[in-house]
This record gives sequence, C-alpha cells and structure tokens, in this order.
Amino acid sequence: MRERVLGLAALLLVFAPVSLPAQSNEQPAPASATTSAPEAASSDAAQSSKEDSNDKDTPAEKRKFRLRLGAVSLSAGFSHFSGPYYYPYAYPFGYAPFGFYPGDFVTASFWYPISSPLPFYGPEAFRYGDGRGEIRLSAEPKEAKVYINGAYAGTVDKLKTLWLDPGAYDLTVSAAGREDFHQRLYVLSGKSLKISAKLDPEQTKENP
Amino acid sequence: MKAMLGWFAGLVLIASLAVAAPRGTVPRSSADKYALHAVRNRFSIGVVAVSPEQVRKQFVSDVNRCCVVVEVALYPGKDGKLDVSLNDLILHQNNSEVGEKPASAKVVATKLQKKAQATRDISVYPSVGVGYGSGGYDPATGTREPGGTYKQVGVGVGIGGSGSQPGSSDKDRSAMETELSEKGLPEGSVLAPVSGYVYFPVERKKNQTLTLEYTVNGEKVELRLPQ
Repeated sequence: MRERVLGLAALLLVFAPVSLPAQSNEQPAPASATTSAPEAASSDAAQSSKEDSNDKDTPAEKRKFRLRLGAVSLSAGFSHFSGPYYYPYAYPFGYAPFGFYPGDFVTASFWYPISSPLPFYGPEAFRYGDGRGEIRLSAEPKEAKVYINGAYAGTVDKLKTLWLDPGAYDLTVSAAGREDFHQRLYVLSGKSLKISAKLDPEQTKENP
Repeated sequence: MKAMLGWFAGLVLIASLAVAAPRGTVPRSSADKYALHAVRNRFSIGVVAVSPEQVRKQFVSDVNRCCVVVEVALYPGKDGKLDVSLNDLILHQNNSEVGEKPASAKVVATKLQKKAQATRDISVYPSVGVGYGSGGYDPATGTREPGGTYKQVGVGVGIGGSGSQPGSSDKDRSAMETELSEKGLPEGSVLAPVSGYVYFPVERKKNQTLTLEYTVNGEKVELRLPQ
C-alpha cells in the first residue's frame, strides 16, 4: 500500500508543474500581438494577414521552445515530527508516517511551490535588467566622456555596462585631443551589445 | 500672418519627413564595384546578397528569422533622375515565375515580434538537499521513530510565458522598425546614388536559387544571387 501511495505522490509531483503551463499555452495571444497588425498601412496589413495565415498553416514554426538551465538549488533543512500527522487525502488511515509524507522530502527545496517557506522562482526570476538591453562599452582613454542622445551620461570607466530601454540612441564618446566616436545604437530588451570605441588622435592642421 | 504660419508648418513637416526617412547605407562609387551589377540607360544597379552571418553582425534585430536580406545600390542614369520604389524589386525562388516583393520595415518588425512572442523558455531547476529529522511518535506502530538524516534530489520544470523573450515587447518592435527603416533602401525620386537593405519575407533553404528582378520604366534587370 505504501508503495502505491508513494508512487501516486511521485507521479503528482512530476506531472503537476508540466500540466499547468501546458494549459496556459492554449490561452489566446496577448493584446500586444493582436493590436500590432492594425497599425500597419493598408499594403502592409495585407502582407501581415498573409503572414498570419501562413503561421496558422505551420503551427510547428510558431511554437518554439528553448531549453535552459534555471537555477541550481543546494539546500539543507531540519524537520521535526511530534505526533500523528493528519493527512486525509492520500493515506487511508488518516495520517502519514514520518518519512513518507512527500513534504518531508521537498520542504527544504526552494523550488517546491507549495510547502517551501521560500518563494517559487519562475523562469524569469533570475533575468537581469528586466525589459532592457545591455550595452557593454569599452574605450581608450578610460576617462573619455559618454553622451547618449547628446546628453552627458558619465565617463567610460564608470559606464562599463549600460542598461537602456528598447529604442534607437545616438552614442558619442569624446576625449580631449581625440576625435569623437559616433555610433547609432539599436537596443532590444534582453540583448547585449558590445561597443569598442577607438578614439583616434585628433589631426592637427598644419600651416602650408 | 497666415501665409507665414503655413510656410512654417510646411517646413516643419518637411523637416520631420527628412528625419524619419530611411538613411540606407553608403553606396559605393559606382555600380561595377559590386560583385553583382548591371548597367542600363536609365539606371545602374549593384547588389550584395547578405549572408546570415553578416546579417547577424549588421543588425541587432534577428532578421534571419523571417527574411532574406539583400543590399541594393541604385545609380541614376544619364537623365539624372530615378524613382526608387520597393515595389519595383521582386525576388524569385528556384526560377519560379511568381516572386516575393520586399516587406516594409513595419511588417518585418511585426513579424519578428510575433516570432519572439511564440518562443518560450523551458527552464530546468535541479535541486539537491540534505536535512535532519528529529523523529517522533508513529501511531501506526505505537513506537517512537528515531531521528536521522534525509537527502533529496529533485528537478523542477517551468515554461516561461509569452512576451518574455528578447524582441517581444512593443518597445522592441518599435526599435526594430527604426533600425530596419533606417538601414533600408530609401524610396522616392533621387538624383544621386542610393543604397540600403531590402528585406524579402522568404525562408532560406539549402540549394535554393534566388534571382533578384528590378524593373523600372520598362527596363528590366535580373541578377542571380550567390547561394
């Protein structure tokens, strides 16, 4: 009997996290996806609708999954059992002996969403710079000044990493005695852009 | 006074259009500087088929997910004027008579956003734990269970929601549209050479032959792109 109950508990633990998101996949597309198409011009809208129909024909292309490692958990815990444990849902005798209650095995694990004292960390919990794009800037000399859209942002040595909202920016790096470095930047959320600004020495005009 | 206001409004409109207009790329000195080129009476054309690796370097937007990118340079002929329109360009696949016209930056950005929204992360959370249980009374046997250590190994699986991928937000779409527009081939009447990228909504396949057709004022050019 114990083996059957344990097997059932193990099955529930394995399939519960998989079955819940599978249901959420069937939800309709978010508003942002549906509102974007009408914004297009008439000819563009025609092309968009054509693309939509193509997407429906090829659902395998539309749903793409990417496997990634979320977080590795190492934990230590302590549990204390002081008396009969009432657990009416799975055990016929109305209790769960110590060592067989599934919670004993998973309480110490922070990813367990029900009984863990720590919050459940979803797939996005560890994403850095949420909704922004990263600019990794390097330049010589280090004390060169950085301007974004004409506004002073700081010096290169203090701005090794910049997090910017998605959009287009004009980057200028300037230093005394050097030619300015200009670059148009396009920033997308979650993407990292590496910029190496090389400031050449300013050419002095020689008299004829 | 009204006339002055009208002139001012017109100037502002022209200035805003000039700022919003695509800038394209810098054309080479002549069409024959391009590996693929053709010279006609009214125009010359130079073409570069941009490889997926080059697209990855040139664009922050992941254009490879939806399109074949071609850099097109157009040079006005002897009369000195050329009407550039994306509708005059057609890409034929595998010598098919039916071709694809280029997609605008807005359409490409919308398509890329949709593709990004459709991609989801499956995150795996391995877990290892060790603990100590102090034991307790077991009413099934009427005895007191001794304490001891327990170990647990587990794995959690989470599927991310839509909209969590790079390039999936509305701000991303706007940024992608800006990039694609600014690097795209400028349209309109031109007196000087222009060049820029053109985005064809065609999937890249192995052993695919692509032919670019350009027709303007009854003059037609067909250039077969290298694979």
